[in-house]
Amino acid sequence: MISLNQMKKILVIDDDQFFSKTLEAALPAGKYSLLSAEDGEVGLQKLISEKPDLVILDLMMPKLDGTAFLKKLQESKDLPKVPVLVSSNLSSVKKISDVMAMGAVGYVIKSDESLQSIVQDIERVLGENLEKK
Amino acid sequence: MNTALFSSAMIFNFLIPIFLLLVILVFYFYYSLKKREKETTKEREESTRRLYELTILKELGERVGYSLNVEEILQIITGSLKQFIDYTAVGYIVINPEKIKINTHIEKSVSRSFLSEMKDRMIASLSALTDKSFDSSAIDEVVSGAIVVDEIKQNIGSLFNIPLVIGGAVAGVLTVAHIDVGLYKEEDMTILYKITGRASEAVSRLEEVVEMEKGKLNAMVLSMEDGVLMVDTEYRVVVANPAIKKIIKFNLLADGKDVNFFDFVNALGGKFDIHGKLEEVIKKKNPYYSERINIDDSFFEIGVCSVSHSMLKGGDQILGAVVVFHDITKDIELERVREEFTSMIVHELRSPLDGIKKIIELMISGSILANSDKFKEYLNMAHQSSASMLELINDILDFSKLQAGKFEVNKEKVDIKEIVENKISFYKISADAKNLSLQSFFSNNSPQFSEFDPQAVKQILNNFISNAIKFTSRGGSVLLSVFTYKPGEPLPTDLARDKFIVFPETADIKINVPALCVAVSDTGIGISKTNLENLFHTYKQVRLNSSDDQNKGTGLGLVIAKGIVEAHGGKIGVVSKEGIGSSFFFTIPL
Repeated sequence: MISLNQMKKILVIDDDQFFSKTLEAALPAGKYSLLSAEDGEVGLQKLISEKPDLVILDLMMPKLDGTAFLKKLQESKDLPKVPVLVSSNLSSVKKISDVMAMGAVGYVIKSDESLQSIVQDIERVLGENLEKK
Repeated sequence: MNTALFSSAMIFNFLIPIFLLLVILVFYFYYSLKKREKETTKEREESTRRLYELTILKELGERVGYSLNVEEILQIITGSLKQFIDYTAVGYIVINPEKIKINTHIEKSVSRSFLSEMKDRMIASLSALTDKSFDSSAIDEVVSGAIVVDEIKQNIGSLFNIPLVIGGAVAGVLTVAHIDVGLYKEEDMTILYKITGRASEAVSRLEEVVEMEKGKLNAMVLSMEDGVLMVDTEYRVVVANPAIKKIIKFNLLADGKDVNFFDFVNALGGKFDIHGKLEEVIKKKNPYYSERINIDDSFFEIGVCSVSHSMLKGGDQILGAVVVFHDITKDIELERVREEFTSMIVHELRSPLDGIKKIIELMISGSILANSDKFKEYLNMAHQSSASMLELINDILDFSKLQAGKFEVNKEKVDIKEIVENKISFYKISADAKNLSLQSFFSNNSPQFSEFDPQAVKQILNNFISNAIKFTSRGGSVLLSVFTYKPGEPLPTDLARDKFIVFPETADIKINVPALCVAVSDTGIGISKTNLENLFHTYKQVRLNSSDDQNKGTGLGLVIAKGIVEAHGGKIGVVSKEGIGSSFFFTIPL
């Protein structure tokens, strides 16, 4: 039987350290452990080494940006298949549809949503995944 | 009785001579009266002639002044001729661009052979004058006036031809014919020569004026930057200036054929339906303006409008249409740059502000205990975010002031040494955190006091030093050098540049007056050639080659630094080698 108390690993790939810190504080205690990466490259490394349950991905980052990261994930066969929730301040409809077409499970506009609602989105995605498993 | 006879004989002898004298006198007066009558008639004829001449010339002047139509001129002349000259028939032969035309007006009925002889003689005259031969069957003939009656056997008795010369070339011939022989005297011919002479003068002058105006118009259109194309109603190219030939990339071919309409249709292809738009505009008489159209690397706004001229008789005659290509590439580039700038600012402000909002959200939710370490940490984060936002806003303000030329430089007599040392101690902490050495060096020739705006220069140093620290890896070094630069002389020898391979040379310091020079050199990652070009001009993020934790930035700092330095009358510059280091420097005239 799957233990519902198992801590979920969330990998936050964002160059804004404030975001990952505040997100961590907002998540219900004990349920999640948060890892952070400041760009896509480090993100890929941590994806392989830590095998998180969810990736929260920013789009505007130096070196490997969010879109390129998603592409790599989509095209590779070896990388672990982890759901990716994109959280960005970019709000163009085109961007959103492009990103969703690349396999993201959701798109959150950071500055429009409160920490609460972001947390709800996270729980929803992880909950769905749980059901799939 | 003898006396009486003698007396009457004597009287007779007196009377007869008197009588004879009277007769002679009468004859004399009669003769001189007749002579005077003749003279008067002659004078009257002369003045009639003069009057005719004047009337014709006046009419000619009015009508020819607006017309270059040779036929019209000939018609005017022949129309008024019958007031003065007696003729059986009058006609003209005129050379039109397409055909030769003969127009004959019959005053009194004549036979066809009369007309045909007249025609032959007109053609002969024209041939002789123009040295060309004409096919009489290919000539348009118009006959008006009295009817042709073949029974009338009279042929041409007198005839004379007068050429109409315009601009040095024979444009036509005027012919007057009569059945009577020997009718036309020199005076008749002279006056007609005078009239046609005047007419040709007037027309030639008019043509000159037209050519000159055409020349002016051509020169103007030729020099226009916008591409101009004018076509007539048959889509023949009337005007195509060099600018438009450049747009469609037209090169004069070896056979010298100039551009034609199909060259345009092909070149514009699917981007702009030039034929369709021209048709539309000519039909509807409404001008058309396009949205931006992309041709190769440029953008154009294309305007199409019809060309017409109002005729004397009223109404408009469509001559064709004009297409103008207005290059808006620069405007679009400017638009794009502004958009980029705005979106950059928006992004840079939104993130920290959102961070503050989320931090406050956390605090409101109570998930962080007041006065806990976490709490203090978050407060600091919020403080930092708001500080960086304010910094950005100040930068933007400075930037726009510099752009508008309204940046104020408040010069004071300052000791640069003080400012430099102040900055060194301020940035020591950040340098130590990365294990970087941060030092200053003052050459022996560095000035004690110089004039500049201390706040502004501090801003420049902040930017240079923080960049140097940011882009230098652990264990590296940063050095602030201060010296006086004298153009034409080598740099001071006491500059401690041993560790710093990258340092400005005299050739790099592009100022030609003695100046205070400050250089911030580092042993950092350096800047690639392509990035180097853009540094002080754009505000794009300079992408980094190696890892760094604080690579955000608007790049405005350097642009502002340049503005400040130039507002002081100085020069800013940078030398850099990738992987080895960089040196940012500026000069301020002493």
